[in-house]
Amino acid sequence: MTTEKLTGYSAAPPRKAHDATQGEALSSRLIRAIPIVVLVIVAIFLVFGVPNFFTQRNITNVLVQAAPLAIMAIGMTFVMITGGIDLSIPSIMAFSAIMGNLAVRDLGVHWSVGCIVMLIAALLLGFINGYAVAYLKMIPFVVTLAMMTVVTGASVWITNSVSLAAMPEAFFDVVLYRLQLIEGIPIPVIIPFTLLVAIIAIVVIRGSIFGRWLYAVGTNVRAARVSGIPTQRVIFSTYLISGLCAGIAAIILAARLGSASANMGPDGMVLDIVSSVVVGGVSIYGGVGGPLGAVFGALIIQIIGNSLNLLEVSYYTTLIIKGFVIVAFVAFDSLGRRRGNG
Amino acid sequence: MITQPHLDMQHIVKSFPGVQALRGVQLQAWAGEAMALMGANGAGKSTLMNVLGGVIRADDGEIRIGSKAVTLRSPLDATANGIAFVHQEMALLPTMTVAENMHITRFPTRGGLINGKVMEARCNKVLSRLGCGFSPRTRVQDLSTGDRQMVEIARALLSEPSIILFDEPTSSLTSREKARLFDVIRALKQEGVTIIYITHFIDEIFQICERVTVLRGGETVGAGALKDFTPDQIVQLMIGDLDVEQREHRAVKTDTPALRVNGLTRDGVLNNISFTLHEGEILGLWGLLGSGRSETVRSVIGLDPLDSGTIELRVNGALKTVRPSEAQRHIGMITEDRRGEGLLLPMSVKNNLSLANLRQLLTQLGLVRERDEATLAQQFVDKLNIVTPNLRQPVRTLSGGNQQKVVVGRWLELNPPIFFMDEPTRGLDVGAKAEIRNIIFQLAEQRAAVLVISSEIEEMMALCDRYLVINRGQIVKELPGNASKNELMAAAAGAASEGMRA
Repeated sequence: MTTEKLTGYSAAPPRKAHDATQGEALSSRLIRAIPIVVLVIVAIFLVFGVPNFFTQRNITNVLVQAAPLAIMAIGMTFVMITGGIDLSIPSIMAFSAIMGNLAVRDLGVHWSVGCIVMLIAALLLGFINGYAVAYLKMIPFVVTLAMMTVVTGASVWITNSVSLAAMPEAFFDVVLYRLQLIEGIPIPVIIPFTLLVAIIAIVVIRGSIFGRWLYAVGTNVRAARVSGIPTQRVIFSTYLISGLCAGIAAIILAARLGSASANMGPDGMVLDIVSSVVVGGVSIYGGVGGPLGAVFGALIIQIIGNSLNLLEVSYYTTLIIKGFVIVAFVAFDSLGRRRGNG
Repeated sequence: MITQPHLDMQHIVKSFPGVQALRGVQLQAWAGEAMALMGANGAGKSTLMNVLGGVIRADDGEIRIGSKAVTLRSPLDATANGIAFVHQEMALLPTMTVAENMHITRFPTRGGLINGKVMEARCNKVLSRLGCGFSPRTRVQDLSTGDRQMVEIARALLSEPSIILFDEPTSSLTSREKARLFDVIRALKQEGVTIIYITHFIDEIFQICERVTVLRGGETVGAGALKDFTPDQIVQLMIGDLDVEQREHRAVKTDTPALRVNGLTRDGVLNNISFTLHEGEILGLWGLLGSGRSETVRSVIGLDPLDSGTIELRVNGALKTVRPSEAQRHIGMITEDRRGEGLLLPMSVKNNLSLANLRQLLTQLGLVRERDEATLAQQFVDKLNIVTPNLRQPVRTLSGGNQQKVVVGRWLELNPPIFFMDEPTRGLDVGAKAEIRNIIFQLAEQRAAVLVISSEIEEMMALCDRYLVINRGQIVKELPGNASKNELMAAAAGAASEGMRA
């Protein structure tokens, strides 16, 4: 075989096909962008339609409120990129907040140890989720749904549905500390901290080998396995990460609410997390999206919730609207997928 | 004997983009007889049968059934004309009952509900005709492979067909089940049914068939009463001229073992497989589809489970026993399923190329050095002549040949000492096939150990320094690189019957 012959063969690439598929990819991207544009417009409309939205106080408030949601959405992003889902994040968050408070109240440990207890409790539950999904090959939906039910039940049982407020003032002073970077505008330390978590997540996902493996597993787990990627370990790790994020969110929310209780992670919060992630462009089918989008999504979901609240729309109506938002995004994702053929 | 053929296919022509699959095939089959349809891979057997089954339409030609010209536009047309298929891959629903499986496309109903009585009565009639002892209410998952085959046949018989096609019906049967299948086929022949029998096993057709039609390259190259043929003559017709092809490369084979496996066994799939692969050697694992050839290489690197057996790899100059998961780090694997197991289709050429090699591209902080990743990817795009507008192009949009080069390139980046290539040129055009073959030669010249699996005998003959013949999960023979086509074909088919008798 001469090289001449080889180049002769490859000199005729199917140019038209390339153009056509690129066009398809573009239209698929456009379809996926439509709901985001609509949502941003709705958010802007709400923002300007709502009195007092643009007060410095309310903006700070929205950002602080969005922080635990954003962190949990980042955890969910890791899981969803591999094609899984973790429905137990809010319940794990509530449970570990309770554990931390119990440790401080009953064992008399320092509040910082209480925080570490929260992180460890969340990691342990994430460990169970990950082990069941990755190594026992159980379906993520079922595993984490069961985890959610068990952990919520345990939380109610342990606390008798009573709020625990065992943390000392020092805990609140630290977590809710306000930086005075700009004269007259206090910035709660939670905001830059959340940004830091987001940046770490972005760097890991975009730059590390683990990040690449996540996308490979979410795109084609069989090809990933043939290529020598430790697929089980990758999937296992994502549930550890979502657990850890639930633990971090527990610390923030326990500080913001002033106490820990079984209903600090209500069912509706799962919906908010999933909405944030899919609004942020993570595909429920895996392999697409990233933490930046998830943080952006969390912000939008929080703004809509906050604005509807200020407009005195009832909680239940808000639920209906959020439910529609998720369905719309998944539908557009599915449509974009069909157009893009993958 | 009836002189008029019951099925008469004349001048059947069918071309697909780039391939002339059928070039005027003739096929005649008589009532009450079994006709063996033989041909190597790509001879046009499947296309011809799909034409008869109404799955694809021929471009030209005439089909007569019982001296009446018919047009087969859909599988429904085929059924209406008395044609039924017994498929090779069992298309049964394991959790449903025998009766439900048999009626899945045409449940008898009464008032909109399924009429269980009628369904069972029909089943019982057909099952007793086949001499089956199980009840129509048995779940398919509780049946043996042979009984499942009977359910397939029973399903075909429901439509009272006059022509039944058997496509590789014995490939997963035990010898006793095979004997029972042959009894059923004989009984069907006595009832006047026309049988078309497709198989790789030449000895079987002499047991059960009266006539034979041999296809090669989309043409009928031989037909007639089977008693006028010897097995060797049929093999010759299937593979054409017996000239030994000019081998394309100078052997650089060494005697240094790179990989040695011992007694690989997995219950019902692999039986005590042992072989040694040397540096610079291209070893062909030659066997039919379903012989255990893919399972062998997959189990060595842990993609398939293994019950027992040891794997030794040359690490730092000495053979060392390793586990499959460790073996995978030293073996580049190209699977037969390019799209399903080879590529991340929506992802870029660059990301697909670096997938197996990311560990070597890390900075001290554990991040991937993107610039090096791109440089290396560009290097292999150039080296392998991968036609892509840029490195960010989704692999999905490339042609099959270029996609395959991306899969190969991924392993070249990692540069392991051993390669397993399962059907490395499947579905590629002639030019791309030659390019992939050249890459394999280059690998061997650089002292890599390569194990190749291919269904195409010409390709195996062009590539291999040595052959292992595998059948029903066993290595049954070893042949030297200069083995003739005839020897290879005979080894795969002949050895098959030995394996069955054992």
